[in-house]
Amino acid sequence: MPPTLVNVAVGVLIGVALLGAAFDRRSIVVVAAAAAIPDLDAALSLFVAGATNAVFHSIFVPAAAAALVYWDTELREESWLRTRYGWYGVRVAWVAIASYAVAGIGLDLFSVESVALFYPLSDRYLAVTGRFILSTHEGIVQTYVTWGDGWFEVATPGTTESHHVDSWIDPAGDERRFRLVESGWQAVLVLTAAAAVPAKVLVERSDRP
Amino acid sequence: MPSSIVHIGFGFLVAVGLLGAYYDGRALLAVVAFLLVPEADTLMGLFMAGAHRTVLHNVVFAAVVAGVLYWETTRADSRIRGRFGDYGVRVAWVGLFAHTFAHLALDWAHLDGINALWPLHDQFFRLEGEAYLSTTDGFIQTFVDVARDAETGERRVDPGGRGGRAEHHIANPVQPSPETDPDPDRRFPIAVHGWQLYLVLVGVFTVVARRLQTPRYGQEAEDDV
Repeated sequence: MPPTLVNVAVGVLIGVALLGAAFDRRSIVVVAAAAAIPDLDAALSLFVAGATNAVFHSIFVPAAAAALVYWDTELREESWLRTRYGWYGVRVAWVAIASYAVAGIGLDLFSVESVALFYPLSDRYLAVTGRFILSTHEGIVQTYVTWGDGWFEVATPGTTESHHVDSWIDPAGDERRFRLVESGWQAVLVLTAAAAVPAKVLVERSDRP
Repeated sequence: MPSSIVHIGFGFLVAVGLLGAYYDGRALLAVVAFLLVPEADTLMGLFMAGAHRTVLHNVVFAAVVAGVLYWETTRADSRIRGRFGDYGVRVAWVGLFAHTFAHLALDWAHLDGINALWPLHDQFFRLEGEAYLSTTDGFIQTFVDVARDAETGERRVDPGGRGGRAEHHIANPVQPSPETDPDPDRRFPIAVHGWQLYLVLVGVFTVVARRLQTPRYGQEAEDDV
């Protein structure tokens, strides 16, 4: 997985973008935490082999959460969430689910470290990596997805049995390495998130009637 | 450069929330313009060596714009405020924020980086490295190289410095290489690596999600377009 700090940074940016009038200290912490939760499956891999980037990185986790919130707020006669926390609670719940799926799972899916997106239906790790370039010599170069076997395919390094995703909780070697950022662009995401929160505080202060 | 598509995607992610009550299609378009304008120095590269990522890709330019914007919007007969009201002021500041983080900072971490302090100091800087905590090495970061000269004992700090603009040509579709080539391969990257495509998709996601949101007491609905 890319470092959890980077997942959190993207989660914060999604919170700043989508919380709107529900933006406050409590809600941004909830949304940031939602982006970090998927990486907890690394701890699970101490007991279940191949759980890292699989068990909590499955698309079915946020899908189930979304279905639950939809059922509670739209289909039930009296919504528990709305009665308890009002409009604020519903907004925070949806943004937290978006943060989990997009910042928590999505970022990992678009890296070489890959995610078993359809676990437990499929234990294959998937990674969307490649390039998309228009060139005057080569035309359109697109290698993110390939057409094979009657279906679109993306790169895969193996299955939960054959591929070990390294983490500080469950390292491959002796050294435990808790990574903060791995490259320049990840540092930029963290810096941007750190600047966006105070900027959003100013914005909310002037937007409130 | 990461392509303008990537800058715009990241710009959307940053701008949607900060535009706040003033969010609408026109404001978003203005932010896109802010993100594209600095790329004009690509064209200057045709008659000024190393102009790309130098003339408009520097902190000095951004700071001057911020200073002028502050002065302009706080004086009594502000033109921006007079013509566009608080809406215009907000859009301008968000545009500058997006330019700084979604464009400058992202380019800083790409290829040879940016000529950050031009015209005060002609040197390219590149943000590159990693940071981690290790059970064997402790805290390690390689972004800023701090070394002590073995002979003089002098401390040297290197934040990823490169040469000046004369030595650095950053490949771009207008000028793939500094040499003249009758039939150059002009490459227009849309996205390279998973993360660039990711930023584009996240930008689209935030704009779509913002549209689907249920407004609070109808207050946000009227601001939508």
